[in-house]
Amino acid sequence: MIDQILERENYVLAKKMLDVSQARHEAISGNLANAETPGYKRVDIKANFPDELKKLAESNDVESISKLQTRLETDLNSPIVRPDGNNVQLDSELLKMSENAMQYEFLTQYTANSMKRIKTAITGRVQ
Amino acid sequence: MNIMPGLESTASALAAEKVRLDVIGQNIANAHTTKGPDGKPYSRQLVSFETKLMEIGTNSDGSKKMGTGVSVKSITSDPKSGPLVYNPGHPDADEKGMVRLPNVNLTHEMVDMIAASRSYEANLEVVRTAKQMAQNALRIGR
Repeated sequence: MIDQILERENYVLAKKMLDVSQARHEAISGNLANAETPGYKRVDIKANFPDELKKLAESNDVESISKLQTRLETDLNSPIVRPDGNNVQLDSELLKMSENAMQYEFLTQYTANSMKRIKTAITGRVQ
Repeated sequence: MNIMPGLESTASALAAEKVRLDVIGQNIANAHTTKGPDGKPYSRQLVSFETKLMEIGTNSDGSKKMGTGVSVKSITSDPKSGPLVYNPGHPDADEKGMVRLPNVNLTHEMVDMIAASRSYEANLEVVRTAKQMAQNALRIGR
């Protein structure tokens, strides 16, 4: 029975988003590591990923949400900032990183709070 | 599963930036070295980086997860020759009293040094953020 609670779509979505957030941090760390590598192109989560996830979330398809793979893709559209073809912009990359960390914090707190609510329901006491 | 995401590539970048700073330090130290072991004036060393594909963990389906790190590709000498100055009292002066100085430009080196240390800081910020993310994740159950 508890499984049903923990497999509700809000949990599955939060888990998926935490995965995405972690993958994005990995991508950004790779970008910052290569900020001065000649010819390097930045990588990020696939541009259409948010739409895909949104569509699945709207259809309440828990199975497909948990199966959805987070793929990274090379970003060729960002403007080139170095004559060698590198397109990593230090400031925008750091901004994306803080934004992503904030999103991660939101998701962890969201998950923690909804777990707390379940605990309250089980014990009948506010923790 | 990796509790602190992105650390492998960041660690490689920190190491590479350190090499770059080392080489800049060497260039500045030798800015006035008119005779090296080969008998020629010191020539400026340049570090170049390349992307390194590295394993950063495993995916949920068991396959290897790859990330992009960075490594030092080569350290090459700048072939340009340095300025020639008239200083007949110098022990390395030629018969006309001219001394060939190293091709190290202190201004370039300082600018490079600032760039390298900024890159180093940016990578440290990645580690700090990863730590914060891990701490948040560990607080979920509380």
